[in-house]
Amino acid sequence: MSIDVMLEQLTMGFGQTCLIFFMTLLLSLPLGMVVYFGRVSKIKLFSWGVKIYISIMRGTPLMLQLLVWYFAPYYLWGMNIGGYKLTAILLGCSLNYAAYFAEIYRSGIEAIPQGQYEAAAILEYSRQQTFFRIVLPQMTKNVLPSVTNEVITLVKDTSLVYSLSYVEMFAVAKQIAAAQTTIVPFFIAGAFYYVFNYVVAGVMEIFEKKMDYYR
Amino acid sequence: MSLLEMKHIKKEFGGLPVIRDISFSVEQGEILAIIGPSGSGKSTLLRCATLLENIEGGEILYMGKKAAWMENRKPMFPKKQQRKEIQSCFGLVFQNFNLFPHFSVMKNITDAPIRVQKRDKKAVYAEAKVLLEKMGLADKADAYPYQLSGGQQQRVSIARALALKPKMLFFDEPTSALDPEITGEILKVIKDLAAEHMTMVIVTHEMKFARNVADRIIFMEKGRIVVQGTPEDVFSSENQRIQEFVGKLSLE
Repeated sequence: MSIDVMLEQLTMGFGQTCLIFFMTLLLSLPLGMVVYFGRVSKIKLFSWGVKIYISIMRGTPLMLQLLVWYFAPYYLWGMNIGGYKLTAILLGCSLNYAAYFAEIYRSGIEAIPQGQYEAAAILEYSRQQTFFRIVLPQMTKNVLPSVTNEVITLVKDTSLVYSLSYVEMFAVAKQIAAAQTTIVPFFIAGAFYYVFNYVVAGVMEIFEKKMDYYR
Repeated sequence: MSLLEMKHIKKEFGGLPVIRDISFSVEQGEILAIIGPSGSGKSTLLRCATLLENIEGGEILYMGKKAAWMENRKPMFPKKQQRKEIQSCFGLVFQNFNLFPHFSVMKNITDAPIRVQKRDKKAVYAEAKVLLEKMGLADKADAYPYQLSGGQQQRVSIARALALKPKMLFFDEPTSALDPEITGEILKVIKDLAAEHMTMVIVTHEMKFARNVADRIIFMEKGRIVVQGTPEDVFSSENQRIQEFVGKLSLE
């Protein structure tokens, strides 16, 4: 197999990698906020439930979670899981990452001094205004470095879906390597991941610079 | 009618009484200074008055309207509309300024009038400019808080409080976080406000300042009012504790 063909197949796989990456980010970033609100809810039942959820998401391997999301409907209820693979992947990845993001948001919000809330209260900002105008912008700045870390990890974690035999770049590389008995596709895939993450880190740095206008 | 009435206010922290049955009132145009040693409860009293802390006894009235009271040992507050009305009566200047770091000086001052009071943007900006000039910060409108000195930040926070046009202003040790040579510029701003008959309640360690600017002084210790009266009354008081306190400070 020529390098050209390999590249072509890997690029197609990379499209799937990107799909999982962007969809997971799109779902888990806002979902993390929802999880955060559950985590700090005054309703004990809620905050405890969310605490347990976060603990499980962080305490077990993502690969295992993906297998459970995918196979559980079949094993438990005999459901046909034929066309359900991508849904299971996005569900598994998003819920897992949302747990991490929720904790990152929490640390970012807890770092905001109490005085900010008091000033907002004295100036008669409503709860919503306080959150959107005072808390959220400051939280965003606080969490950017940690979010960058998570996002870079997510790029690499997309490769875990090969355990569900989902055809993305890593699975393609593995297939070609086995069929052609060559190490080359692994190097190419590695280069893809590396360049992708290089771009991600660059983009996040731009965001961080944009938030540098205040301290 | 008094602008503010505090009646038999009580407050504890973890079973430890911090404010034990304190009553006082503030009249329109009056300047009240609250002095006393650290831990005497004066800041807590101010935080109760500004509704940042829940009281555990007594009641608070603004312009004769109940702002906080007790029912079955639970703190009660008026309904939303009236609470808003009461809240807009007063402003508070914090010890640590508590400016919004992500807003420019101008936005710190104008955001609440525009977003909360829904006032006309142009008018608010024009007023803010006047306020900044008054504070000697006309050239700092576009600066961010971190670019300002402590004294400048505190002046911005005073402008921010004034922009909402409150009937009275509370100051919680406004110079305690500042270098001694900068305290003067803040005290001057407060003096200027006094000349305009702004109603003010000032918690402070600046004895000389309290004596010069206040109409009335409350001396607090251990959660109680020890003496209150005109500066002359308080500073010439025979009370030994006050003599000690004032004496110690004037030695510094």
